[in-house]
Parts: sequence; C-alpha cells; structure tokens
Amino acid sequence: MTRMRPTGDWDGTRLAHEGFVFSADVQLVERVVPFVLEGFRREEPVLVVAGERVRRLLAEHLGTDLGRLAVFAAAETWWRGGHGTLQAYDRDLRTLRATTPTWRLAAEPTWLAREDGRVWSRFEAVANRCYDAMPYYSLCLHDARRLPAEVLPAVDRSHPLTWGGAAPAPGPAYEDPAGFLRAVQPAWTARPAHAVVGTVTAPVQGRRAISAAVPSDRRARLGDVVLATHELLANALRVAAFAELATWTDGDTFVVEVSDGGPGLPDETLGYVPPDPERGPRGMWLAWSLADDAAVRSGPAGTAVRLHFGPQP
Amino acid sequence: MVTVPQDLDAVTGLRPGDHLWRSFAGDTDLAAAIVPFLDEGRRRDEQLLLVGCSRPALLAAVSGLPHRDALLAVGRLVLQTTGDACSPDGGPVATDLVQRHRGATQAALDAGRTGLRVAVDVTGLLRRGRSGRRLLHACGQFADETVGAVPVTVLCLYDASVGPEALGPVAVLHPVQHPGDRPPLARLSGRGPVWSLHGEVDLTEAVYVATALVDVAGDAPGEVVVDLSGLAFLDVAGARALHSAAGELAGRGIALRLAGAHRSVRRCLDLFDLDLSGSEQR
Repeated sequence: MTRMRPTGDWDGTRLAHEGFVFSADVQLVERVVPFVLEGFRREEPVLVVAGERVRRLLAEHLGTDLGRLAVFAAAETWWRGGHGTLQAYDRDLRTLRATTPTWRLAAEPTWLAREDGRVWSRFEAVANRCYDAMPYYSLCLHDARRLPAEVLPAVDRSHPLTWGGAAPAPGPAYEDPAGFLRAVQPAWTARPAHAVVGTVTAPVQGRRAISAAVPSDRRARLGDVVLATHELLANALRVAAFAELATWTDGDTFVVEVSDGGPGLPDETLGYVPPDPERGPRGMWLAWSLADDAAVRSGPAGTAVRLHFGPQP
Repeated sequence: MVTVPQDLDAVTGLRPGDHLWRSFAGDTDLAAAIVPFLDEGRRRDEQLLLVGCSRPALLAAVSGLPHRDALLAVGRLVLQTTGDACSPDGGPVATDLVQRHRGATQAALDAGRTGLRVAVDVTGLLRRGRSGRRLLHACGQFADETVGAVPVTVLCLYDASVGPEALGPVAVLHPVQHPGDRPPLARLSGRGPVWSLHGEVDLTEAVYVATALVDVAGDAPGEVVVDLSGLAFLDVAGARALHSAAGELAGRGIALRLAGAHRSVRRCLDLFDLDLSGSEQR
C-alpha cells in the first residue's frame, strides 16, 4: 500500500493549487483530515473556510484538534461578487504572508452553485499566475452533489493539481490562465450594424460620449459605465493617439467596446488580478469589477475590450 | 473670481472685488494689459501696486502709463519685486510680504485713496515651483481677506509660455484660461484646514490637484479635510494622486481626510489606503 502524502512534494515555498472534487462524505474526510493533520505536524497555520456540511464533517473527525485550526470559518457569507470576494481574500493573504512563512488552506467556494458565482473559476485560474509566489497550499473543495454539473469541468481547467489517490498530481485538463479566460469570456461576435462608433482623443471627450450613449433604462448605472469606460479609454490613450469607442445593446445587455491600435495588452488577465496595495495598475481591475462581464481581444494589431452591463448593478 | 481670456483687448471696467487672471505673450502684450488697468485706477484715485520679478522690467512695463514718474515720486504707485525676496519654502517671506502690504494699504486709505489696485506678473513665481506658488497663495489669501475691508482690484498676469506643468497646480485653484487652452476640469477651493474639490479629476489634472493640495495645506501639523461632495468624477489616477498627496502631507504631520465622496468616487478611493471617514459607505 502506498503511503499517503497529502501535499506530495510541495516544499512550502510557492503556491500549490489543487481542485478536489468529491461526491461522498468519506472521500472528503479522507482527503481533508490528513491534509489538516500534516499541517499541524509541520506547525503550519491551517485555515478552513467551508460550507456547513463540510465544517460539520471536519468537526466530527478532528474532535478536540479542531481548536488548533488558525481559521475555521463559514464560506456562505464570503461571496461579495468575484472582485469583492477576491479583494477581501487578497487582503487576508497579504496579512498572512507578512507574518507566516508558509500556511495551508482548505476552502470550499460554495458560491460556485450560484448563477452569479460561476465567474469565480476565472479568478481561480488567474490565481495560478498572480499568487504563484505565495507560499501556501490551497486545497479547493467541490461537492459534486451540490454543484451544477457544468461547473466541474471549469474546476479541472483552472486548478493545476488534482488528487491522484495517494498524492496530488498534475491535472490533465489544466489550462494556461489567459487561454482559459479567452475560452470562457463572452464569445467575440461581430459588432452589430446598429452599433454607435466614434473616435476619442481625450478622456473627457470619451466621458461625454459614453454618458450620452447610456440608454435611458440603464441610467441607474451611469456612474459605473462612465468610470469603467473612462479607465479603458485612459489605458488605450496611454499607448495610442486615439481610441475607438463603440456601444450597442444586445438583448438586455448594454455593451461598451474600447479599441486601440497600440501594442497589445501586456496581460489579458489584468482585469482579474487584485491590485497591489503599494503600486501597480488598478484601472483594469476597477473596470472589470464595475461591469457584469468582460471580454478581451488582444494582438499585434491592437487591443479591444468589451464590457457588458446588465439592467441591474 | 472672474477669468478673462487673452483675446479680450483691454482689462478696463474692473471694480473693487474683481480678481482677474490673464495670460500675455511677450513684454509688449504685458504692458498693453497693465497700463490701461493701472491708469483706470489712477483716475479712480486708487493706490496702485505693481508686483513682478525685477524693478527694471516693472518700470519698462509701465513706461506708457501717464504721469508714471510723478505717481512713483509721491508713492501713489509702488513697485514691488518678488524676484529675490523668497526663502525656499515661501512661508515666512509670504507672511512678511502680506504684513507689509497690509500696513501700506491702510496708510494709503488714511491718505485719502479710494482703494487698492494691484497688478502682479506671476510668471516668475509660477516658474519657481512650490515656493513661488506658496507665496502666490499667501498673497491671494491676503487679497481675499482684505477685500471685505478695503476695495481691492487685482489683476494677475502670466506669460502664456510657462506651460501646463507650471500653470496646472495654480489653474485648479484659480480658473485661468488663455486661447488654445481649456479651463481646468477640477477646481480646488477653501481656506486653512477645510477645502473642497469640485468638477472632475482625471489623469490629465490629477497631479496638478495633488500638487495644489500639498501647496495650500500649510505647515501646521493637524488634520486637513477635503470635501468631495461636489466632485462629479474621480478616476484611478486621481485617487492615486490624492494618495500620494496624503503621503507627502503625512511627512509634515498633516493627516488628510476625504469626506463626502459619492459612491463612484469612492470606488476609486477604495483602491488606495486613504482616510475616508465622512464619505458614503459602499
């Protein structure tokens, strides 16, 4: 019998990111309890954020050891939209990093069951890149009995590790984060004939144009639309003399497209990367967080970004 | 505060309480603005004060002023230079300058003058950077304080070639304009520890606003509040600039508090570590 190695040959210096899918309580217990106990043995802080059922199972099996968990929290209250949730998570990670050489986390993103929570898989994908240097093991728990079946393939595609039975193993379905985003963002269809298209050379001109273009049934979101569009235009006008602003309505969705002929976006994942508190860009993160959905097309001929705004904020 | 675009020919018809900014292009244009302005004051029996970089330049600018030498001889026209009278931080000199003019103004009124008329060539101050701007703001404060008690008419002139970097941090405090330029989108106003920001702050003026705020926040440790309830738009660059102003002020022992921010202004500020007590919650 092979000896179980709950974190394989992870040495605690970088991110290890595993997507674990279970469909029976015993599978969960056999994966998570050894993971937690190994953390205790190695004197690493062990954090658990999970739904009610997982917490109850862990409480039963850990007994008095439960008190040794650094965090034992309910996942149900964590969801604040993709950007809000990641921003809060990001603050916690930075606090931990400032005080702890290495730690491990078992987390159950229960919000993947929500219609508006599925976008989370994009953040999971981008985490592989932006948290690469964070020294922790993130064991992400997914209950196949509670999650919609269509969510599970995205788990495999966004987690580089999966459970191999005795140790973590590379996930065969794992995709490069930028490729994953391109695949799951809204399809890049041709602009409709009724799109309103204009050229923008100064940010203030763009703000006036987009203010006028927001449909009357979307005025409650005017502030969000103007700010998000402005950040895209400001970004475009840093690298190009002018940008193109196009707007149209697609069913219930108001679409804003900003394109420029400058060198392509250096990082297509930028809209999902939480800003560093000290330095670095924030505009794309903000624009993405204000919109309901976003798509990027970037290449040598330039960059185009589309933001989608539904009727309700 | 009134603004006059350069293509308005003469700056006459001004009355006490007016404070105008006007650009000029070269010495001839400067003289063409100053002479009618001061001559009008002479006819109204006002005390005249002309402030600029050097005495020869000031004398040349008013060479066309009727009765110039007689006015100078009896002290009806006073020339004041800013060129060499500034300490690097602008602070104590500004106080001294203001005190001296306060005294001179009172003396003129006692001698039967009807008011004070001031023309200032601020080009040198704008080019000097922070110390020049702080001296300028101190004088502006003097004009504001005096205007209630003494009839003061002020014309500030700047060479159009100073460029946006020098003009920007002053323009957001004094809405100046000249042909080919547009008025600033942002406006910072206030006094002492309480200021308010109006209009729109985006990447084109963010640094000017932050610079102006650091200029006017003073030296006394304590809290400076900026009311953002009248601010219609702020972008990430604007929030970043306010954050850097807060850092610079913290170095002087001044805590910057941003109050009254609307939801979408707050979205940007929330991306930075800033004191937002008194702003709307998300």
